[in-house]
Amino acid sequence: MKLIKKHIPLAIVFVTGVLTLVSYYVPHKVSVDYIETMNKWENIVVAFAFLLGLISLFFSHYHKIKRKGDGWGYSLFVFIGFLAMIIPAYTSGGKQMVEGVLTPLGWAYKYIYTALSGTMFAVLAFYIVSTAYRSFRIKSPQAFVLFVAAFILILGKVPLGQIIWDSALGWTGQNAAGVIEWIMSVPAVAGKRGIMIGISIGAIVTSLKIIFGIEKQYMGKD
Amino acid sequence: MVDTSIIAGGWLAAGLTIFIFSFLYRDNPFFKIAEHLYLGAGMGWLFQVSVNSVWIPKIWEPVSKGELLVIIPSVMGLTLLTQFIPKLSWMSRYGFTFMMGYGSGLAIPAGLSTDFMSQIAGTIKPFSLLASLSAMDIFNALLVAGGAICVLFYFFFSVEHKGHLKKVSNVGIYFLMVYFGAAFGNTVMARFSLLYGRFDDLFTFSGSNYFYATQVVLACMVLYFLLHGFFSGKKEDAAGEEAA
Repeated sequence: MKLIKKHIPLAIVFVTGVLTLVSYYVPHKVSVDYIETMNKWENIVVAFAFLLGLISLFFSHYHKIKRKGDGWGYSLFVFIGFLAMIIPAYTSGGKQMVEGVLTPLGWAYKYIYTALSGTMFAVLAFYIVSTAYRSFRIKSPQAFVLFVAAFILILGKVPLGQIIWDSALGWTGQNAAGVIEWIMSVPAVAGKRGIMIGISIGAIVTSLKIIFGIEKQYMGKD
Repeated sequence: MVDTSIIAGGWLAAGLTIFIFSFLYRDNPFFKIAEHLYLGAGMGWLFQVSVNSVWIPKIWEPVSKGELLVIIPSVMGLTLLTQFIPKLSWMSRYGFTFMMGYGSGLAIPAGLSTDFMSQIAGTIKPFSLLASLSAMDIFNALLVAGGAICVLFYFFFSVEHKGHLKKVSNVGIYFLMVYFGAAFGNTVMARFSLLYGRFDDLFTFSGSNYFYATQVVLACMVLYFLLHGFFSGKKEDAAGEEAA
């Protein structure tokens, strides 16, 4: 039983991982076909993983409605929202536009999904401003540098900021857009490169640990 | 003349937008309705994408044509659903291990080429073109290279950071702060551009061709908060009197 429960799954990780890694560096039709097939297979398995999450969400809200838990009425709207996208998707065959006219799916996407998602993230703008107040309290030289970089970037990208920049620092011959460009392409790049190199080393090491079965927490408990 | 479905859409979008913005005043049932609708609509959208881009073209159609190879990943995917049956949940390892193996195998070359090698190459490359660079470009190249080395040193823990080494590490912190500040500024601007978009839509739906959808929904929300405040205040007074 241990073979089926533990050893075969670990063998799948090892074989799939090594073959994928090797195929990337082997310029042969077989390896290209292998990567293409595996990519399709991955998409299929991920689609089932999404289904797992979806069913789990539905179970959670169904049980909430069934036992009339706190705010159970709101859970009904999860199903309403789901149906509001699925029914138009079915009637439209998954197309948002046909001959320049919005299909029911396009309508639902534009007036329901876009309105909701756009506003949900737009609301964060207000919270980001209050966070900015807390994070920009300058207590150290490092915090001052963070503040200056963010301040120049935010103000420099709005017309008011450009007017302020031109009237206060116009004599330097530099405009706000030029300074933003320099910050983004020189000191910010230096910081980003250090982080990116660190992340890539971490990702490579973790991947090797997974392939060789050293890291296997994702397998859960026996 | 605006089409009826567009007017209805305008009313719906204006309502949902204002419901979510109402959270800025206080938590309320309308926000919660919109929040749950968003969750459901988001899952619905992803589900239809999954059906139309994976289930039908990559599973249903090949199987219909007799290409049975896709049954292997489908079975591996189905094993994931055994997570709901505790006694059989070990079977889900087959699906998870495939995803982990393929993801890990792909992450190594991708991480090596796009993040690791290209970042190092981008730092070194300007020095191979020194003769054709201006003084400012050379200064910038030195700043990027020096900054990247200092940042890397900040994350290097094999040597104790003290003396001159601590200074190098501290310089790295300044470069990190510039990056974090720039990233923060960009995030703020991205959020605000979304906000402008929503305000622009609300302005559009406030027109006479949409029968003043924005104003009507906004007025209803204000009325709700006034009435709610009035009645909840009365309830509190009554409870206070009862307690006394």
